[in-house]
Parts: sequence; structure tokens; C-alpha cells
Amino acid sequence: MDRVFSNKRDIAVFVGPTLLLFVAIVLVPIFVSSYYSLLDWNGIGNGKFIGLDNYVEMFTDSRALNSMKNSLLFAAASVFFQLPVSLLLALILASSVKGEGFYRTVYFIPVLISTVVIAQLWSKIYNADYGLLNTLLKTVGLPDLASDWLGQRKTALVASFIPILWQYVGYHMLLMYAGAKSISSEIIEAAKIDGASTIRTAFSVIIPLMKPVLKVSLVFSVIGALKIFDLIYVLTGGGPFFVTEVPSTLMYTTIFDTFRYGYGSAISVFIILECLVFTIVINKLFKTE
Amino acid sequence: MKALRKNVLLAALALVLAIGLAACGKEAGDATTPGGNGEGASSDKTIELTLWDQSVGSTDPSAQLIPEIVDEWNKANPHIQVKRTGTPGEQYKTKIKTALAANEAPDIFYGMGGGSFMQPYIENGNVLEITSYVTDEVKAKIKPGVLETLEYEEKLYTLPVYTHIANLYINTELFEKAGADIPTTYSELLDAVDKLRAAGITPAVIGEKDRWPGMYWFNIIALRQAGYDAVVEAFHNPSKWNSPDIIEAARKLQELANAGMFNDSLFSMSYEEMLGAYNAGNAAMMFQANWVNAGIEDPSSATSGKVVVVPFPVFEDGKGTAHEFLGGSSDGFYISANTKYPDEAYEFLLYLSEQLGTRGFLAGAGLPTWNTEGLDTSSLSRLDLTFAELMDTAEAFIPWWDNVFPASSADTHKNLIAQLLAGEITPEQFAERMAQLEPTELHL
Repeated sequence: MDRVFSNKRDIAVFVGPTLLLFVAIVLVPIFVSSYYSLLDWNGIGNGKFIGLDNYVEMFTDSRALNSMKNSLLFAAASVFFQLPVSLLLALILASSVKGEGFYRTVYFIPVLISTVVIAQLWSKIYNADYGLLNTLLKTVGLPDLASDWLGQRKTALVASFIPILWQYVGYHMLLMYAGAKSISSEIIEAAKIDGASTIRTAFSVIIPLMKPVLKVSLVFSVIGALKIFDLIYVLTGGGPFFVTEVPSTLMYTTIFDTFRYGYGSAISVFIILECLVFTIVINKLFKTE
Repeated sequence: MKALRKNVLLAALALVLAIGLAACGKEAGDATTPGGNGEGASSDKTIELTLWDQSVGSTDPSAQLIPEIVDEWNKANPHIQVKRTGTPGEQYKTKIKTALAANEAPDIFYGMGGGSFMQPYIENGNVLEITSYVTDEVKAKIKPGVLETLEYEEKLYTLPVYTHIANLYINTELFEKAGADIPTTYSELLDAVDKLRAAGITPAVIGEKDRWPGMYWFNIIALRQAGYDAVVEAFHNPSKWNSPDIIEAARKLQELANAGMFNDSLFSMSYEEMLGAYNAGNAAMMFQANWVNAGIEDPSSATSGKVVVVPFPVFEDGKGTAHEFLGGSSDGFYISANTKYPDEAYEFLLYLSEQLGTRGFLAGAGLPTWNTEGLDTSSLSRLDLTFAELMDTAEAFIPWWDNVFPASSADTHKNLIAQLLAGEITPEQFAERMAQLEPTELHL
């Protein structure tokens, strides 16, 4: 085995095909798109080279800025709501509760359902006329609280965040659960013998030892939030009045509804860079600690 | 690293989408013939043509007719086999755009009502010009004046199928319940809104999540207020959008909205949900085109037999008349400039357009553009017949405005109307921003 790994030709044989695919379907399109982002182009025919004008427009257009703000808000919501809930669930499950396997499966189900299905499900929950939520509010005697959740400026953004947060709780829970389970039981027993309470054990022993997993979860959660598309697209399409618009839905509308491939490509390049920067920052943060 | 790669992969996926999913077109184009015909006809080579359309809805008569027509054609022409793929509307738009941009378009495809949707592709040479194919014999079969509306710079790229116009649907049962009269003027419309609201009935539904249903309302109000000529002029010279009439039209739309004309849930309701709500008898009025007739008259709908259709009310202070209609843009099929078999593709285009145009009219899919003499119209519903009658009174048509504006202006136009409906901008601001839109290059 060692011989195989030290042989450069063998390495090339194994890595080559994947690398080739990766370059062809990932790297090349990124470079092509970076080039398109410098054009004023309607998707067919020849584009006009306009330098960085698309980027200037992106950072001066209130609609684009608002979409960036939304995605950052959503990243924050993921970090401060989604991850703590996942961690809590993971720790409870990992502490050998009854029905561990059952709950683990139940929490993971939303991850397995297609996002479009989830969006349809929640749009029925939120529906102003016959939605579950409004019906519930009316039944318990709070008809004043009933509202058009996805159609109002005030509630649309939060209402569209909730399903996404909910969907991926199970995913992060599973990651963290695996992390918590991999901690040797001797360490936890040692903490118990030393008289540490369950909570103290969790904070001083288990969580610090889960740091690598937490880092992965954090990166996934932030990146996932920054590039969210499908659920928002189905749930609100970025509306009403761009309240729920995120960069990826804006990119889609720009390209497919208004034929502005250059500007849309600029947004896609922005999303890539944004995700890269956040990944690097998170990795740096975990290193210095 | 894993996260990085995941992220890069996803971003790349978006890019691939953006530059046109070449594989998408290829897949459909290269799909193998279903099983071959097993007759071993080796002397003649079988040609395969691909057809893409957007007719898949369960109440859409075209969705049943197109497969039928394709089947008949395939039986009659064993050497020219047509393979059809249907995709729902919004997805279809994206699909055909990417395929066209990637030069992977099917031989024959549906062109989304022509207008600004097809214009860039015609200009770029993605679409086959068929002017020389259309014989006088064919021209004689098409209703007078129709072909002219399809021309782009005096050249033909498509044949007419059927046409659509928008009118006001009235649920008579709900109107009677509220003691309201069918409105013929703006003040009567406001009056009806008050009475319906007082009776606890939603006067009208809009599925504004998709933005174009609300646009129809503004378009007809502006047409009634400013009149056909002023609207056409403004389309060519956008500064004219900032006129007292357009401001007044915007004000009227807001006035109706403030009077409670529309459903409270309009901004979260999609077009499909709007039809669902109307067909369930949840609202008294809807302003839509005749493609919704079949759903309203469907025996399973609460509205079956209870709905009448009238021209949109005229305005006491307006320059428009009841003979000016929103609609008239002919939907049609186009041939890809890349097709290997232009002659065969045209033959099929002709067959499909005529068959779908006449049979579709009889099935209630749209108003006729081909000669209807000698056709038995007894199969038509009351709504369809009313539409045909209204069509005969027409003096002028203007297509849905998002088909007239260039693409990016069309999008802005729809967004402005959404903001107007929500009361986020004033009529004056609306008119100012309309004046900044691009002029249309279409012949109106």
C-alpha cells in the first residue's frame, strides 16, 4: 500500500479521472463565468466587454444589496438557531436515551425529503386562506394573529427561513451525534467520577472534544445559507417586493427573466467568492483558538 | 476542504445552469426512438423530429390534443416520426431558453406567445424563417389579418394556432348573493366591490406571487383610461408613460385595492392557486384570458354554469372603449434554424398549427385563427361562445404588456405593479419609473 502511494504514476492513475471531471465541470465553468461577468450579454450572440461595470452595479443596486443582506441574516440565523438546536438534540441522543435510534431517524427525515416537497408542504402550512397555521390560530381563539405569512413584508423573510432551518437541523444533528458518539466513554466516565454534572460534562468535556465536527457543521451551515436557492424559489420566488430575495434567486431572475447573463454571472461569481471567504475565515477562527 | 469543494461544486452547478445546460437539449434530441417499428423498413430512412411544448395541465385542452395530433401524424407519416416532450410553463421557459442559447433546441418548439420572448432568438438567427414555405393556399385558410400580426420585419417565423383575449369573469351566484349588478362602468365596479365586501365575499382574486396576473389588471385599466393609441405611442416613446392618464390609471388600481377589491393573500398566491380559488367559488371576479374557461366550466368546479364573461368596464373619464382588448397575441410553434430537416419540419408545423388551431378552438383552448367555416361549434361552452362573440366586436388588440416590453423592462413593469398594488409607491412615482423603461421594437 505504501508503495502505491509513493508512486507518482499510480497516484496520477487514481486521481486523474476525478481531477479531469472536476476541472471540466467545476473549474472551467467558474472561469468561463468570471469572463461572462465582465460582459453586457443577453445569452445569445456576442456580448459587449464592459469591464467591472456589472460588479459596480451589483454593489450599488439596492435590490442586490438587500439580497446579500438577506443571505447574511440567514447565515447568522443558521449559526445562532439551527446549530444550537442541533447540538442540543445531538447531545441528548448521544447520552443513550431510550429510543435513540427512533428519534435519530425521525429528526433526519426532513433531510431526506426533497426541498421542493418541503417548500410545498410549508406553503400549505402558511397559506393565508386555508393554511394549517392560520386555522390553528383561529381555533385557539387568536384570529387576530392569523396573517398572510409569506405575502407580508414583515413576516415573509422569517417565515421562509424557518422551513430551511428546520430541514437541516436533522443533518447537523447527525453530524454532531456521530462526533459525540466517537468520544471515548472512558473520558466521560472519568468526568463523572470526578463529580462533574451532566451539563458540566457536556460543556467542559464533550463539546470541546467535538471541535472538528462543530467546525464542519459551521462551515456547511454558513455556506448552505449563503447559497440557498431552491426553498426560497419555490416558497416565495424572492417576493413579495424582493423581501425574501437572496443572491442565488436574484441571479436566476436576472438570467432567465431579464436575459442579463453578464450581470447574473457577476452575481454567481460573488456567491463563489463569498462562500470561499467565509470558509477561510471559519477555518482560521478554529485554528487560532 | 470538503466544504470548499461542496461549495465550489454548487456554485459551478449554478454556472452550468447559467451558460445553458447543453446536456438538457442533447438528451431530448438524442433520445432513442421508442423500440423502432419492427417492420424492418430498410429502404427508407426514418426521420425523427423533436417537438417541445408547454401544454401539460390537466384542464388544458391542448395537453390532450397535442399528443393526439402527434400520434395521428406519426401513423400517417411512418418516415417522419415526431417525438414530443411537454414541460410546465415556467420550467418550459427556462428549458427552451437554455436550449436555444446552447444551440440544442428541438426541431419544433412552442414560442411563448411570440413578442419579446422570441425577438432575441429571431434576431440572432436561431429560428428558421418560413416566409417562402407559406403558400397562398395556406394563407387562404388563415383568418384575414392574423398572419400580419405574426410578421417580424415582414418575415414569417411561425404559423398561428389560436389566440386569446382577457375579459372580466363574473360569478353571477356571488353577485346575486351580494345584490350587486354586473359592472359596465368604473363607478359601478366600485359599487359592486362595496356590496360584495359588505356581503363578506372577496370581490376578485389575483395570484400576484407570479406577478403577471396583477399586471393584467393594470394593463386593462391603463388601456381603458388612456386608450389604445396613447398606449401604443408610449410603447414606442416611453417618456409618454409619465402622463396624467397613466397616473390616473395607477391611482384607480390603488383605489380598487384600497376598497378591498382583491384577496388579502394576493402576494403569496400563485396563478394556479388563484384559479383554484376562483373555480372553488371563493371570489366573484377574475380578469383573465380565455385559457381559464375550461377550468371554470369543469363539472367539478363550483363555478360550473354560474360564470358569465363581460368586457372590462369602461371609465367615465377614460379614452378607451369596450372594443379595445388586452390580448390577441398569437401563440405559435417555431422551427429551429439548426434542424436537419427543414422541409419535413415545416410540413409538420403546418399540420400541427392547423389541427391544433381548429380542434383546439372546438375544445375551448383558444379563439380561432384558421377558417372556422363549416365547423360544428355545438361542442363549445357558453363562455367560449361569448369570447368568440366579443372577439368579433374587437377594434384593437394589445398583447399582454410583458410580451411587448423588452425582457428586462417587462420584469421591471411587473415589479412596479406589485409595488403599486401594495401601496409602496405612489401613482406619480409609478409613472415616473414607467417612463424610464425601454421602448419596444415590436410592430404594434
